[in-house]
Amino acid sequence: MTASRDEEILGSPGTEFSLDAPAELAHDPAERPGLGPWRLTARRLRRNKMALAFGVVFIALVAACLAAPLWADNVAHTSAEENHLSDTIVLDGKTTNVVDLLGKPIGPTWGGEFFLGADGNGRDIMVRLLYGGRNSLLVGISAALGTILMGLVLGLLAGYSRGPVDSVISRAMDVLWAFPVILLGVAIGTVLAVQGLELGPLTLESDSLLIPILIISVIYIPYLARPVRGQVLAIREREFIEAARAQGMGSARIVFTEVLPNVASTLVVFLPLMIANAILLEAALSFLGAGIQPPNPSWGTMIAEGVERIISAPHLAIVPGAMLVLTVLSLNVFGEGVRDALDPRARVRIEH
Amino acid sequence: MRKALGVPSVMVMALVLALGVAACGSSNGGQAKGGSITISQTSQPDALDPALSYVVEALEPIWVVYTPLLTYRHAEGAAGSEVIPGLATDLPRISNGDKTYTLTLRKGLKYSDGTPVKASDFEHSIKRVLNLESPGSFYFEGIKGASAYLSGGDPDADIPGIQTNDKTGEITINLTAPDASFTNVLAMTFAGLVPGDTPFENMTQDPPPGVGAYMITKSVPNREFVLEKNPRFAAAEIPDVPEAKIKTITTKITPNLIQQTEDVIDNRLDYMQDPPAADLKAEVIERFGPDGTEEQRYEEFSTASTYFFFLNNEIPPFDDPKVREAVNIGLDKTALARLYAGGLAPGCSFLPPGMPGYSEAIDIEDCPWGDPNQQPDVERAKQLIREAGAEGAEVTVWGDTVDPTPKITQAYADQLNQLGFNAEPKIIDGAVYFPTVGNQKTEAQTGFASWYTDFPHPLGFSILVDGATIGPTNNTNLGYIDDKHINDELAALSEEPNLTEVTGRWEELNDYIVDGAYMLPFGHRKLATFVSDEINFDECTVVSPVYQNDYSSFCLKSAE
Repeated sequence: MTASRDEEILGSPGTEFSLDAPAELAHDPAERPGLGPWRLTARRLRRNKMALAFGVVFIALVAACLAAPLWADNVAHTSAEENHLSDTIVLDGKTTNVVDLLGKPIGPTWGGEFFLGADGNGRDIMVRLLYGGRNSLLVGISAALGTILMGLVLGLLAGYSRGPVDSVISRAMDVLWAFPVILLGVAIGTVLAVQGLELGPLTLESDSLLIPILIISVIYIPYLARPVRGQVLAIREREFIEAARAQGMGSARIVFTEVLPNVASTLVVFLPLMIANAILLEAALSFLGAGIQPPNPSWGTMIAEGVERIISAPHLAIVPGAMLVLTVLSLNVFGEGVRDALDPRARVRIEH
Repeated sequence: MRKALGVPSVMVMALVLALGVAACGSSNGGQAKGGSITISQTSQPDALDPALSYVVEALEPIWVVYTPLLTYRHAEGAAGSEVIPGLATDLPRISNGDKTYTLTLRKGLKYSDGTPVKASDFEHSIKRVLNLESPGSFYFEGIKGASAYLSGGDPDADIPGIQTNDKTGEITINLTAPDASFTNVLAMTFAGLVPGDTPFENMTQDPPPGVGAYMITKSVPNREFVLEKNPRFAAAEIPDVPEAKIKTITTKITPNLIQQTEDVIDNRLDYMQDPPAADLKAEVIERFGPDGTEEQRYEEFSTASTYFFFLNNEIPPFDDPKVREAVNIGLDKTALARLYAGGLAPGCSFLPPGMPGYSEAIDIEDCPWGDPNQQPDVERAKQLIREAGAEGAEVTVWGDTVDPTPKITQAYADQLNQLGFNAEPKIIDGAVYFPTVGNQKTEAQTGFASWYTDFPHPLGFSILVDGATIGPTNNTNLGYIDDKHINDELAALSEEPNLTEVTGRWEELNDYIVDGAYMLPFGHRKLATFVSDEINFDECTVVSPVYQNDYSSFCLKSAE
């Protein structure tokens, strides 16, 4: 986060739909009057070819990762965890070690087995890349959904209740916000990687994917809860809320029927950006050994392992790094497109 | 437990280096005295204080700065394992049923700052080891009164088992029980003498003066430390303990191993304490190895180390000897050697090469579990596991985060799965690894471990298999091996003062441990000497079997 985050994310300035947007965006002549907000959004998004293209790229990446077992079973004939340290492969009629005596793994064969080469343990990079993508995406998407759920509840509660509830929640968010994201993630991740997690009936093994999901979800709560709170604080003072109260509606009903629909667009904008951020954080934590635990593959752990052989086998780090860049880039460009489509004047940002 | 590559007092045996200290002549103009070199270490030594230094990053410099009463000959191979008089005039006179050691301090010795050396400094040096909770304190607790001194909490109290006479220089040490390795203990750098007024605190930032070829003149933790030639050492005239040839040795702490390797290749660094980065090892061997395209400045040497997986003898599935045999038969040791970039010699032996009691036969060709350099008999191993009813047994394989252990742990877990187990690796931070797996409550089934002895005596390995050492926490016997024959034999051998007379018994005990498959040894580590073009590689790179590269042997091709 930069120094400008307070203006962009925190509280109302970041999420309030300001009136200082360019006039041509505020009054698009192509927009037919009478269209609903979601149809209007879809129409705007369709016009943003770049965002759509990257959306397709992301869907293609997800599809490829979901097809990992098909590739592993039918093409590579190995699993993501299977080592081939002493195995050989025939290339151009010549028998070659998958990992040579000095530990250097084979490079891309561009064939079925070891399509992108092998890692230091003789594991098929392509298979690990796809399975690693599944893990990274699973963690990223689940963590983002978790963040949105928890952040929304806390933001609504704080913003609508105000008073002591708001104070307690806001101060808790301040404390969480005060920790650098990576530092907090590494601290929690390292502890949980040793002993797992036991919370009453909930028991998580130290290598469970739920641990990085939980860590990332919790760490990012303030990034959502604070803007939602700010927006709710503004909304609850609007006339239609007053009108709802005058009609005798209870607080819970007002929150669900009046406030929530008005923050929904913020959530939609945040979702792809949060997923991208969560994937990046997962990769960073895994790179540092505090995220997904081996032998489970993830792009972060693959990069960490690849760095040790960056000179003799650069593909080990470059391939998962490229996948990470492509995924995050596609999500960010698509997310920006969604944000522009939802409201061209909104200034919601998540910074890395 | 595992002490390295940044491991304590590594004992390097003379299997490989045939550098020939006595080799005559050099095409590069021979040895030159003087000059300065810059060398590197990957991490900061644990301490630059003889009472506390324990890892090899510290021991290489400490050995040439603080000479104990006894020390090791500055030579390669078996000769380098020989204990010789250091600051003492002779080897100790052992009497009173092998419980009393008497030595005499050389006359006229001075520390590097000019302070005269006194016999009572020895007691003070040992007090510092005991007081500072040094990793070496264990070795001196056999001195009469040492335990009471420790529990008393008064640093200035007397240790009754040590009597010194500053006038005659006589030092008498009384033990509570015979200790066959005590001569080696006296040669450890923990017993390096420091002045009697040296504070009872870690002196890493301002190392005390010593009697040695070098003195530490600058120490900035995590950045650098500087060794300069001790101008007073020549006057000490200690036979077989050489003077420094290089005037100044500056050690830089450089975490990036690839950077270090590139710097030595390009002669920006003169020596790196770690072996070259795996990523550049092929290039280094091709260019600078014994058969390289350029002048040689790289060579590997074996270390007196054993790398193994502990097998918990108390809990399933490894409480069944048949299962332990199966994994010994089924482990592909050559596969694991590749993960060390060839820096591991596959083997079956518990005792390492060069150690009295080691037999190459049991390690390689007569290994009961098959030649470790060949592919394992996986089918036979699977058969044994099926017969033992252990097929599908859940096994947690422990390993730490110190490279390349995570890869080793994963490869081992994968091999266990190939044999029919349901194994999962569990990799935890290196700082908590050994306390965790050494805690009986953890019930660690199997995991990675390695051991480098602190001195060239097989007793240094005994704590890995001695049932008497098993406790609730901080176990070094990670497999909880508690075999009566092993325990009895270790107890008996620990009281035998003459190692050469009992080498055969050590060999039999080693065979017994290997045959019993109490653990799963998979090899012995190889390290390397790699220096710049400025260093005279042929004549000035002595590898001590105890302390690795001998800084006092370094010299330049030409004086600066």
